[in-house]
Amino acid sequence: MSIDENTLGVVRGRRAARGLPIGSTGARSLRQARAAGATLGTGYLGFGAAVIAGLQAAYGLIFFLSHISDYPSVVPALLAWLLYVAAFVGTAALVTIRGERLTGRVFAAIGVVLALVVALDFVAIWPLHDVGAYATASVAAGFGLLPIVTLRPARELVVASSLLLVAFVAMVVASTPLTSATVPQQASVVALAVLPGVVATSVLQRFRRMVQVELDRVLVQSNVTQPRFAVGMLASDELARLDLAAEKLLDGVAGGDVPLPLAPKVASQAASLATELRLHLIEGRRETWLHHAVTESEYLGRSVTLVDPSSLAGLLSPPQRDGLLQAVWLLLGDSKSRTPGTSITLTLGPVTAVTGSITSLAGRSVDVPVVVSTTGIRRNRVTPATWNALERVGEYTASTHEQSVKVHLHCIVDNPAES
Amino acid sequence: MDIFAQERDRLLSSTARTLGIACASVSLLALVYPGVTQPTHLLGVVPLVLLQIVALVLVGRTGSRVWVLVGLATGMTATVVALLPADGPTSPSLATAVIPLAGGATAAFTIVLTSSRLRIVTAAVAFVVAVVLVSIASGSFFTFPVAATALGWVLVFLTGVWLGRSVPLAARRIYSIGNAHRAERQASETEAQRRQGARLLHDTVLATLTLLAHSGFGVTPQALQAQAAEDARLLRHLRLGGTPQPQASGDYSLETVEESPLGQTLESVKQRFGRMGLEVSWHGTGQVLLPTHVLDAFLLALAECLENVRRHAGVTEAHVTIIHDDDMVRAMVTDAGVGFDLTGVSEERLGFKESVVGRLREVGGSARLFSSPGAGTTVVLEAPR
Repeated sequence: MSIDENTLGVVRGRRAARGLPIGSTGARSLRQARAAGATLGTGYLGFGAAVIAGLQAAYGLIFFLSHISDYPSVVPALLAWLLYVAAFVGTAALVTIRGERLTGRVFAAIGVVLALVVALDFVAIWPLHDVGAYATASVAAGFGLLPIVTLRPARELVVASSLLLVAFVAMVVASTPLTSATVPQQASVVALAVLPGVVATSVLQRFRRMVQVELDRVLVQSNVTQPRFAVGMLASDELARLDLAAEKLLDGVAGGDVPLPLAPKVASQAASLATELRLHLIEGRRETWLHHAVTESEYLGRSVTLVDPSSLAGLLSPPQRDGLLQAVWLLLGDSKSRTPGTSITLTLGPVTAVTGSITSLAGRSVDVPVVVSTTGIRRNRVTPATWNALERVGEYTASTHEQSVKVHLHCIVDNPAES
Repeated sequence: MDIFAQERDRLLSSTARTLGIACASVSLLALVYPGVTQPTHLLGVVPLVLLQIVALVLVGRTGSRVWVLVGLATGMTATVVALLPADGPTSPSLATAVIPLAGGATAAFTIVLTSSRLRIVTAAVAFVVAVVLVSIASGSFFTFPVAATALGWVLVFLTGVWLGRSVPLAARRIYSIGNAHRAERQASETEAQRRQGARLLHDTVLATLTLLAHSGFGVTPQALQAQAAEDARLLRHLRLGGTPQPQASGDYSLETVEESPLGQTLESVKQRFGRMGLEVSWHGTGQVLLPTHVLDAFLLALAECLENVRRHAGVTEAHVTIIHDDDMVRAMVTDAGVGFDLTGVSEERLGFKESVVGRLREVGGSARLFSSPGAGTTVVLEAPR
């Protein structure tokens, strides 16, 4: 009596961030998608970056060759260029052969080679006392970081760019007399060498985040085609897990591995197993697609509250669901530009009869009111795409409540009693 | 793809902003260095560059194309003003100071001008204007500033094209992952339905587990082992994809007809509790036809009530009275056991709410509980026919 029927407060399996048990199929597929998300589409970007770096290198090389007569000793500069071209071609070949990845060790080696390129170029232009006018291979080395941006974590690229910046500034200060005639060129060249890597790193971070957010949205969107009530990825996995645990326990008892009468610990395991199983068999089918969408999504889960005591979301047709989900998504917007404290509450119901249409007179359709109340979302920041999405859900009126937008929607849905 | 277009534009404009502001700042720093340009020129250039920075910020904020044109125009004008011949000697490095502005900050707007033909034409016109301006200022077409400006435009434009094209590429991959995920969700839903549909199986498994939870109290180890072996076998079948029905214990009919007689299955419940030491006596109707899902819920609720009697009432006998009319079937489970104070023990604690009320409510039925200490317990279960 003391340990068995505690239907509340059951110890559940460990959970991952979005509420799926860590070992479940759902969590696994999400993890896989997420891992892929880190590189999704970046291969193409890397190729583009290589083309840009190549173009810049060609320009730098032409510039170097047209000024070759100015150099007191041309050998270090030539060596720097040869080394750079070799490193560029070698890395490109390696990435093509080995697939889109670069180990830390290889990156370190590339970094050393690029540092050597910069050093050799600096040695060659030192006697000219104008870094801005003559730096070529060292600037190209900065562009050389571009294709690597897609293959290594951002912080490594930031470190590499910072080192390059320090080297350039030190070289400029040490070798070039700073006058109004030379300063603009020094600034331009330092910026040209350092900016590409920095800008590319920040753009790629944004690109990766976009892919992650879109992935989350697309995964959650698979909920819109579900039946009125669904168990969700969560419940199915849990049920399979519980069935397996029960099977093992019963097998143990049958085979005599678990001695009878049961030890208190095993007995309490059996009790909580029975309770959880019971809960999943009875309670599992009470949730709607919208509930699953909100709980499964990392982005929605944080800031969306769902109030749907009568499970009315299940009545919405797939296009309406899609519109509602998309509207909420767009309202929340880019997670970076989101101000802290932004939240959305979705309230569904109570159902009212539709007035003034023929189908409603026959009782075939009902009106499910949906109230989207937000905090921290100004009305003028709502994009046109959001209103388009809301239009697909039903007739809406938007108002402003405490400087945040509030939308009243009327979803006309088929009367569940008629179908 | 609506959202993806929006995401692409957002990515492009934020790239333009980052690159443009960085380049404009470099140019501004170079220009304000004393002696690089005339103070009068500076008065014209600085506000223009600042306006361009504002345009760069607003391009991302509003998505309006007006700011692209404003930014391009201010960039060009700033270039012209900076390179205007001054009365004093023009610094030779002036052209270099303007390069980041003309070939970087102004060119940055072309990043957002890559998605349609009209925009590409606009970008091309802007490119030509910028190159012509710089070549007029530096006196010839074949000079370093012209080449650097042209290179800047080409590289920035390429960046825009490439970024813009990778977004739909990533989108396609993401959608295919989404499709795979949808398929997996459907499979998992079907799987859950199959498992949940195996209600009778889970009923005996739950009964056995509950017995185990009491360390097998009141049942011989042999009987418990036999029952456990049978249940484990059924669970294994379920796991391997079958939809097994309990049969070895003789408890349930294997028919999958729409309506099943109540009496036959009541008898099996009685046998099961008999084995566990609770004598169940039936009164009233024996043959009531019920839809399968109602029958399931009704039987499961009944079994839960009897299980509670067996465990808590402290008696070895329970009475079940079944009566029915045209639209309801009603069962009264009574025992003469210890009873309990209804206010003292919450319903949740007895598993009553989950297993009895919940199940009956699913099929449109209800359950009521009457008890007081020392006076036994009565549960009334109702289900529609």
